[in-house]
Amino acid sequence: MGTRPSLGQLLPARIARPSDADDDGAWLLLFAGGRLAATLIGFALVAWAGFPAANSVLLLYGLLSTIILVALPGLRRRPETWAADYVVTLSFVLISGDWRSPFYLLWLASLALPATALPARRAIVLGAGSSVAYLALAIIGGPVPGRLQLISTETLAIHVSLPFMLVVSLAYAAEALRRLSAERSARERLAIESERRRIAWELHDSAKQRLHAAHLLVTSLRGRVPEPLELVVSRASIELESAAADMDTSLAELRSPLEGRRLDEALRSRAFELGAIAQTEIRLNGQAPELPPLVGAHAYRIASEALTNALRHADASLVEVNFSRRDGNLHVSILDDGRGLPTELRPGANGLVAMENRADTIGARLTIGRPPGGGTLIKLDIPLDHTGGHP
Amino acid sequence: MIRVIVVDDHPALRAGLHTVLDSEPGIAYAGESNGSEESLWPLLHRVEPDIALLDYHLPKGDGLQLCYRIKQQVPAPGVIIFSAYASPELLLPARLAKADGVLNKGVAARELFETIRGVAAGEGLLAPPSAALLHEAHAHIAQEDRALVGMLLDGAGEAEAARTLGTTVSDVRHSVQRILSTLRQSAPVAG
Repeated sequence: MGTRPSLGQLLPARIARPSDADDDGAWLLLFAGGRLAATLIGFALVAWAGFPAANSVLLLYGLLSTIILVALPGLRRRPETWAADYVVTLSFVLISGDWRSPFYLLWLASLALPATALPARRAIVLGAGSSVAYLALAIIGGPVPGRLQLISTETLAIHVSLPFMLVVSLAYAAEALRRLSAERSARERLAIESERRRIAWELHDSAKQRLHAAHLLVTSLRGRVPEPLELVVSRASIELESAAADMDTSLAELRSPLEGRRLDEALRSRAFELGAIAQTEIRLNGQAPELPPLVGAHAYRIASEALTNALRHADASLVEVNFSRRDGNLHVSILDDGRGLPTELRPGANGLVAMENRADTIGARLTIGRPPGGGTLIKLDIPLDHTGGHP
Repeated sequence: MIRVIVVDDHPALRAGLHTVLDSEPGIAYAGESNGSEESLWPLLHRVEPDIALLDYHLPKGDGLQLCYRIKQQVPAPGVIIFSAYASPELLLPARLAKADGVLNKGVAARELFETIRGVAAGEGLLAPPSAALLHEAHAHIAQEDRALVGMLLDGAGEAEAARTLGTTVSDVRHSVQRILSTLRQSAPVAG
């Protein structure tokens, strides 16, 4: 690999995640360059043909729309924008009165955004649909192909096949890159998790055992050394105890029940285990975004406690877990059709208290209620902007 | 003289315990094992210790299962589960596994000596599990096992339990091992 990145090297990382990657300078430059080139080539062709006033107005669209699309990323990602751009450029071709119009290039350029952002199957439909649309346009709007000479029929074939080829190849590339990037991030996540596990294991298995040994050795001196040294022994054992407590805290943070999975994935497998025992149907809808480890761990324990309660104490036959994102929060709701919370909590039922404590720790809001239809509804609102909560 | 063996996978802890136990009059360090089958059983048969200090979290196995099997030996030593996280949830499975005591690894040497002396003197140092703990464990134990668990926790012998349930002692033992492994899964991750 050379030091100067080639086009091929630039592309992958850029288009890999179109949702945020199209903010990236290099991809945007390519996109704008393509559109402007299409506009300018069209402009040159029109100018050479005699420069009618209407055509220059239409060409202005190429410049302005490119500037707007580059300046407004929000607009750029909306399917409505793609559709509008597509329809406008296609109608330019129609208005120009000839399917061989230079605006064809601009219309081709309008396919780039949806082709890279849509899932592969939809992109293929888009490509095929575009080819058919252009064929229809050539028949309705332009000179009828049947009356044309051979060379024009060939040109028509190229015009019709080009959008399909363009869209499909762009979509294929984008899909491949998306997959590559997803695999890479999954691999990275796994590597991080296994590293955390290794550290946790070493802390527990080695350092902590040594600490216990040292503590036992030091405390065995109690009552066996002269009075003034008693104080030293007891001071040393207190320090060792504090070190062990510190280590427990670090261990708890390093050991995450998620094991590198997303919250919904981890809960799905927990639900599968629980459901197999209790013969209760557990449905999970939606996805959770990636959470900081500590937040994810607490959220998982809250939700799995709620699941356990529904199965064990409420005798529910159906439990529904929903994940949704709203106002910068991850919203998790667990609804069961069991017999609902008892009006008086049994003594020692500290499960709910523990759930509330966990929610507090990660700055989340927990509400436990009885929906009108019976059962129990537990809602957890986890803010997504914070950086990890306080342990 | 109370003869104690240490079953723990970590050499530093074994070495520490060696020094500490030998320093106490009336207690002798009689040998050690890393918890593997090849080292533990020959040691037990050779030494016939009074007390086994058994790590709960062994890499090659489950301390409670091991405890249960050690207690089936004749004569059986007293077994103290020596755990880095001796949480109250451990009490019930420890009783099922016939452990004589549960001790946190973070205790001071004095407490360790007292527990060893207590168990050697035949005192039952394992408090009966509280009602809340029983309730919690109830959920983890399958319906068909509850009668057996109840009887064993009440102090019934395996033979007695087998007679009442109309099965054999070896069936009862298999059930207990199965229950111990399910209870272990529901225990906190950290060992």
